[in-house]
Amino acid sequence: MFGSLATLQPRQLAAQVLNFALVLSTAFMLWKGLSVFTDSSSPIVVVLSGSMEPAFQRGDLLFLWNRGQETQVGEVVVYNVRGKDIPIVHRVIRRFGGGSAPLQLLTKGDNNAADDTELYARGQSYLDRSQDIVGSVVGYVPFVGYVTILLSEYPWLKTAMLIFMALTVVLQRE
Amino acid sequence: MHNTLTRVQNVFGFFTSVAFAVAAGIAMSVLLSPQAPSASLELKNVQVVKGRPHYYSTKREEYAHVKFDLDADLTSLFNWNTKQLYLSITASYPSSDPSTIPPSEAVIWDAIIPSDYAPLHPNTYIHPASKAKKSAKPKKKESGKPYPAGGSPGIVRLENQKPKYQITDVSGKIAKRGNATLSLHWNVQPWVGALVWTNKNSIGRWQGLQGGEAKFDFPPLKGTEVKKDDLKTETGGERNRGSPA
Repeated sequence: MFGSLATLQPRQLAAQVLNFALVLSTAFMLWKGLSVFTDSSSPIVVVLSGSMEPAFQRGDLLFLWNRGQETQVGEVVVYNVRGKDIPIVHRVIRRFGGGSAPLQLLTKGDNNAADDTELYARGQSYLDRSQDIVGSVVGYVPFVGYVTILLSEYPWLKTAMLIFMALTVVLQRE
Repeated sequence: MHNTLTRVQNVFGFFTSVAFAVAAGIAMSVLLSPQAPSASLELKNVQVVKGRPHYYSTKREEYAHVKFDLDADLTSLFNWNTKQLYLSITASYPSSDPSTIPPSEAVIWDAIIPSDYAPLHPNTYIHPASKAKKSAKPKKKESGKPYPAGGSPGIVRLENQKPKYQITDVSGKIAKRGNATLSLHWNVQPWVGALVWTNKNSIGRWQGLQGGEAKFDFPPLKGTEVKKDDLKTETGGERNRGSPA
């Protein structure tokens, strides 16, 4: 396997590296393009906790849409707690405002006994639609996102996968 | 030429493409399944009392306790791609400026009704036995199904149902608000594909919801004449998770 690496000329090696970089940047462009299309900072999220069971299990992939400013009660939204970077996926159970006033939402996980008042930042009783909400769930695919949960829980998997991918791209001779 | 690695790659690539196509097909095929949901919702009683948001809070706010009757037939919402149905009854009332601000809305009761094919989960609605059966056999073991005995998922028959949540306005005042509406909403959770919410209008084979609304007014604040038993709320399947839930 490494014999073939030694016979690669610098030009071919550079071409392979460029190929790899093009693949990476195309993926990045697709992600950012989807982000602009849905007006959401993170248009595809993975469910991390079991607080929405049995609707969403850990590892489900959710597709978000952020262009509907009049979020209705019963919609499932993804939000970030102010000051923290953890996205939480819960259902809206109360709404006040909208139209000319800022829309205030209260959320609760289907599998939680209490609503999210204790999860919000100190002094915050309701979520602000324009500031805290990342998007509203419009579609989902089960289980596909479990890989990301594994990657975050076992960091050595990430390095191993990157090395494996780099090796296969560089060593393939089309 | 065709070593093991290439074969594995080809098989995996083909598997991914086929899985994606099948999932897309299932997600789109729900449009072909006809729906005809209907419901009859009536307000039974509403009381407004003073309360606190939680035990340690010093705020005294007005809370409304709304009891209702529901007779719904939502069996046509359950097709091959339905994992569960999230039903909710909400109370909505006009805002302080109805011309520019839409009505406020709050959930008073919700239930998760899984399809018969979904794996068993503790967070499931258990339909209460009808009053007639209760008097005939007082200690019959509850069937524990999310629909009444002899029915199928989607049939809900409730009489004088206690709410799960007592609601208030963001300002803390909810007494004597007029022009409020009690309405039924649902959210169909598929096995794969798009989530669907209540549709009042008909689209193709899907007919809109017939009925499912009731108008009422919030009464003035009641004092000590309300018994504590009257203000008990229903607990849902999410309490079966143990603590902390």
